[in-house]
Amino acid sequence: MRTACLARVVSVALTVGFASTFAAAAFADGNDGLTLPSGFSAVVVQEGQGAARHLDVAANGDIYLGGRNGLSALRDTNGDGKADVVTPFGDVKGTEVRIFGTWLYVSDDVGVYRYALKKGELAPTGARETVVSEFPKERQHSDKTFALDPKGALYINVGAPSNSCQQKDRQEGSLGQNPCPFLEKYGGVWVFDGTKLNQTPANGRRFATGMRNAVAIEWNASQNALFAVIHGRDSIDTLFPALYNAEDNATRQAEEFHKIVDGGNYGWPYTFFDTKLGHRVIAPEYGGDAKKEPEAGKYANPLVAFPAHWAPNDLLFYAGKNFPAKYQGGAFIAFHGSWNRAPEPQAGYKVVFQPMKDGKPNGAYEVFADGFAGDMKDNSPSNARYRPVGLAVGPDGSLYVADSQKGRVWRISYAGK
Amino acid sequence: MKATGLRICAVMMSACLAVACATANGETPAPAPDVRPPGQRLYGAHCLSCHQSDGRGVPNMQPAIAGGTWVQGDARALALFVLTGGFGSDARKDSDVGNVMPPFRQLGDADLAEILTYIRQKFGNGASAVTAAEVAEVRASLGAAPAS
Repeated sequence: MRTACLARVVSVALTVGFASTFAAAAFADGNDGLTLPSGFSAVVVQEGQGAARHLDVAANGDIYLGGRNGLSALRDTNGDGKADVVTPFGDVKGTEVRIFGTWLYVSDDVGVYRYALKKGELAPTGARETVVSEFPKERQHSDKTFALDPKGALYINVGAPSNSCQQKDRQEGSLGQNPCPFLEKYGGVWVFDGTKLNQTPANGRRFATGMRNAVAIEWNASQNALFAVIHGRDSIDTLFPALYNAEDNATRQAEEFHKIVDGGNYGWPYTFFDTKLGHRVIAPEYGGDAKKEPEAGKYANPLVAFPAHWAPNDLLFYAGKNFPAKYQGGAFIAFHGSWNRAPEPQAGYKVVFQPMKDGKPNGAYEVFADGFAGDMKDNSPSNARYRPVGLAVGPDGSLYVADSQKGRVWRISYAGK
Repeated sequence: MKATGLRICAVMMSACLAVACATANGETPAPAPDVRPPGQRLYGAHCLSCHQSDGRGVPNMQPAIAGGTWVQGDARALALFVLTGGFGSDARKDSDVGNVMPPFRQLGDADLAEILTYIRQKFGNGASAVTAAEVAEVRASLGAAPAS
């Protein structure tokens, strides 16, 4: 008995603690305190000018960065990786930033807009055009992240302004609204013609539903398909203390990685994917007893069930030239890091690599970049040094990572061993 | 992250050792007595997962209790807010705090008084204690109105 018991303890300790500790010990020097796999290094592109969100990099290396303080354009004029010119522009305070042809598409909580990118210009000087606007202003899950396919179809994440569609949001014991009315206008992906201007939500078509908040949304060109990593629900313990304890809440509700198909339903708010049981369960708001499964086949199972509350905030499929072959076609995910695991140790705060082959996971995910959070005194997210929130690939194949605490941006490159 | 990793590892190991070994031996471990003061214990059970162990909240999600002028202001107004939930004052309605405060009417007057006293005097805050009688008075003023 003792041997089996110890083996279990050691295996848990190995996966949870030692793996990241060894990585940290081996590569803690330089790289701005980030830990990276062997052969990779990080350069600080900008120290930070306030909370950043997503970013994109143009074919000439110019960087476009979004955030709650607004947009900025960054240029490295001498090739050392650091941005020498930083030019704020526009009036959009939000999250998404994507270059599409000769346009820069951006979003805030209520719309998607675009600026013309003209040769020779760093910051766009032309007028902002509205692609879609008039999404309702909400407090919760309101970032309108989006993806564009090569034909210009615009897939917008419309997060649900609710944790779990309770009659009283986040109130202990409150049951779920059935059917959940938010699903009519929220909690899914709506598709628009991204080349048309001055649309409203009514011009969109609901592409997929049952998605609480798919901040990390990306078109995968090699698979010709949409993918997303969805933020799972919070607070199963404090809302239903008879069914779940704090450890359950910190560990069981997956952050779900899905291929998003037309007409797909991904289970929110009626279910969540329980990583402990390895299957989907009925949410406690809808009669769940911490075990009961929904009707088979009704909701898609995730390609990968990532740990609870890690907060997937950006997704990128690597097709650059710089990284070794194993990264080709694989997925990088920026995990912003948890708050709702407290009082258990917070987790996430890292960039993860998920190997993929033919659009499917090909082996276990690996921590790619870690060390963002620092010591994080008192287990409190406010004390995180950095929180990774945005990803992009530059023309040379470097991976750019943006941070939401200070607006720091790193460029991670591979130079071999 | 090294220190944090090791610390988490140590915590996990001891937790797993306790749980895994007890389960393997078919015994139920006796829970360790909770020696925390009532305010801290109740804060841990009902408030900490959102407002965090240092009372600083979470950026864009839940507001800080630490240094909060509102938390340290009128005790009855604070009790009213915790009993009814919502987004609080008009000023806070315009803030970018995302998540709603649930009402805590399910907690008794004495427990709420412990929590309110705790948050008014911890995290660098320095306001007066709140009594169970004050909470009861505010609760009575609400009558039978449903929680918001």
